[in-house]
Amino acid sequence: MVAFGKIIYLDNAATTFPKPREVLEEMTEVYSSLGVSPGRGSYDLSAEAEERVMAIRHQLSRFFGASDPERVIFSYNATDALNTLIQGLITPGSHVVSSRLEHNSVLRPLYHFKEHGVIDLDLVPFDSEGFIHPTAVAEAIRPNTRFVILTHASNVLGTVQPVEQIGMICRERGVPLLLDVTQTAGLLPIRMNEWGVSAVAFTGHKYLLGPTGIGGLVLSPALDVKTTRFGGTGRDSLSLIHTQAYPHRLEAGTINIAGVFGLSAGLHYVLKQGLEETYTKELAIAKRLRDGLNTIKRIRVYASDRPGQCVPIMMCHFDGMDPEDLSAILDGDFGIATRAGLHCAPLVHQDLGTSPKGGVRLSLGPFNTNEEIDKVLEAMATIFHAR
Amino acid sequence: MGRDTQAVSGVAEYGQQVRLIAGREIICDRDGFFWDPHQWSEEVAMALAEEAGMKELNETQWRILRFLREYYFENGRSPLNRQIKEGTGISLMDLEALFPGGIKYGARRLAGLPNPASCS
Repeated sequence: MVAFGKIIYLDNAATTFPKPREVLEEMTEVYSSLGVSPGRGSYDLSAEAEERVMAIRHQLSRFFGASDPERVIFSYNATDALNTLIQGLITPGSHVVSSRLEHNSVLRPLYHFKEHGVIDLDLVPFDSEGFIHPTAVAEAIRPNTRFVILTHASNVLGTVQPVEQIGMICRERGVPLLLDVTQTAGLLPIRMNEWGVSAVAFTGHKYLLGPTGIGGLVLSPALDVKTTRFGGTGRDSLSLIHTQAYPHRLEAGTINIAGVFGLSAGLHYVLKQGLEETYTKELAIAKRLRDGLNTIKRIRVYASDRPGQCVPIMMCHFDGMDPEDLSAILDGDFGIATRAGLHCAPLVHQDLGTSPKGGVRLSLGPFNTNEEIDKVLEAMATIFHAR
Repeated sequence: MGRDTQAVSGVAEYGQQVRLIAGREIICDRDGFFWDPHQWSEEVAMALAEEAGMKELNETQWRILRFLREYYFENGRSPLNRQIKEGTGISLMDLEALFPGGIKYGARRLAGLPNPASCS
C-alpha cells in the first residue's frame, strides 16, 4: 500500500482524503462514550446520545441556513438523501425540472420515474462555460411542475450555479427548489431560507470532511416529503403506521451514530478553519493548476475561474490519449491520484463532446499545496512532451 | 476489424458479444474485453494486434502481455498501476506508447484480461 504522503491526491470531489486527524479523534472519542442507540433506551446514556444527536441537527440546520432542526434528516450519503427526497415528492402525472449538469444520483431516480411513465422531465442545458441560465429554468416550469432539482456545483466542471436567482423564480412560481450541495457544502456558504431553497441534500465525506456513510437532507418547514422507507423509529411503537413526525418520518432504523458524530466533528473542523479562508486558499491553488495546464498544448481544460462561482474542480481532455491511461500514468509513474471517465455525469460529457470515454478530473482539497501542483504540472509536461 | 476477427453475434446479457477471433468464438464485453481470460491464446493476441494495426508483437510487448496474464492468474485480479511498472520494469508512459490502444485498450485487452472497473 502506498503510504499517505507519497501520493498527491486530486480526487477530492469523490471523497476528501485524508480526513483531519482531529476529526477522526473526535469521532472516536464521542462514539466511544456515547455510541448507544440514541433516545431509544430508558437509561441516561441513551438520552444523552439523543441530546447530542439533536444538538448536531441544530448545528447542521444553522450551517445550511435553515430554520427547523427537526427537519434535518440523516442518510447514508447524498445519493440516499436525494432518493428519499425525489421518491417522497414525486406524484403520478407531475412534471420535474432538472439540468444536464446533474450527477446520476439525480438523473437515475428521475429517469426511473420518467421511463415508467410516472413523470414528465425537462432538463435545462448549461452554457459553454458550464452555467445554467435562470431564464431557462423559468421557461421549463409548467403549471404541474412538482419541483426543480439542481446541483449547486457541477462535479465535473466545478461551476457553481446561480441558485439565488433560480430560487427567486421558484418562489415566485410556487415550485420547490431542491439543491444537491454535494460539491459545495464545506466550501461555500449555503443559505436555504435566504435563497428560497426548499431542501438540500448533502454528503458528509466530501468537503465537510466527515467519514463515508453519512449524509442528510435539510427541509424547509413548507416542504413535506412522503415516507418511502418504513421501520422502527423508537417512537409510537404501538402503531403499525410509520410516524409522520420529523425527523423520524424519513429515518427508519438506527442512524449511523458514528457517522453523525464524525460529520459533526468534520463540520467543527471546517468552521474552525473558516469557510472563506479555505475556499480562497483552494481556489488560488486551483488557479495555479488551471493556468499551468493551459500552457500545455493539446490539453483542453474545462473549468471556471469566476470567484464565488466555482469550486476547485476541473476536467481535462487530451486528444490522442485515453483518459484512463493518462490517469494510470499519473498514478503509476508519478504518484498522482485523479479520476478518469464520465464522473457519473454522462450528460455533461455528452454535451462537451467528451463522451463516451470522458476526461480526467482533478479536484483539490484542503491539504493540497502549491508544491504538489508544481509536481502535477511537471508530470503533465513530461507526459505530453514525450509524445 | 482484421481478417482473423469478426463479430459473430449481437449483444447478449450485460453487453456480451461473441466474436470470432483467430478461428475461436470468444465472449467479449461491449468494449472488447474478454469475459473469460482462459479463452486467450497467443494466436488470439496476434489477431487482436493485427486488428489494432500492428504487424507483429515484439519481445517487449510479449513480455508485458505475459506479465499481465501471469499476475492475473497468480493473484486472481489484474495488476495495479504500480505493479505493472514494477513487474515489467517499464514506465506506464512508455508502456502506453508501445501499444496502439494504450494501456487499457491495448495491453490489457490484448492480454485477454477482463475490463478493469472504472467510472465509464
